[in-house]
Amino acid sequence: MGVGPTVKKILNTYKGKIRLVIKNYPYKYRDYSHIAAEAALAARDQGKYWEMHDLLLEKSPKLDRADLIQYAQQLGLDVKKFTKCLDTMCHAGQIERDKKLAVDMDLYNTPTFFINGRKVIGERPFEYFKQIIDEELKNAKQ
Amino acid sequence: MKTSLSGTSYSAMKRALLAALFFFFACTVIVAEEKRYVVPIGDSPQLGPANAPVTIIEFLDFQ
Repeated sequence: MGVGPTVKKILNTYKGKIRLVIKNYPYKYRDYSHIAAEAALAARDQGKYWEMHDLLLEKSPKLDRADLIQYAQQLGLDVKKFTKCLDTMCHAGQIERDKKLAVDMDLYNTPTFFINGRKVIGERPFEYFKQIIDEELKNAKQ
Repeated sequence: MKTSLSGTSYSAMKRALLAALFFFFACTVIVAEEKRYVVPIGDSPQLGPANAPVTIIEFLDFQ
């Protein structure tokens, strides 16, 4: 993945000025993409989306079912509830909605970012994001 | 006479139309760099103030 630290740095650098929104775009030919998205949303049900989000990016690609259940334990989630959600793919609807949106927008790469609607494809260095964000902040002030 | 007059104005109109099309095409090329997409946020997970000056929407695959 590798992009986690860059996004973290952006959020820390521009505290209070950035809203980050996550859409799931699990790649269909990777084994654990969908189940990992399910795990993040299952953690969200228990108020720990961002903790799980960070952990998944850190541990990727160790994302099989047993790994995910272990991460849920690590975050102090109700593991029974979490596992049930994982096994029934209880957020498949939302994930499919996100995927459809991505396909409709003709996106092929992850990560893809939209910064106030400006598209940035793939992993980029912090400075690349900084330039766009600084421009947007300048625009916002005018 | 009348025919040739209307013929002239027709071709002038055609030229104007082509010029307009070219103008819009040129604009599209210039603006393409700055295209802004509208991405519905819906109930997706979000972090940070809702009224933040910058919104970053990330399409993500954890694997």
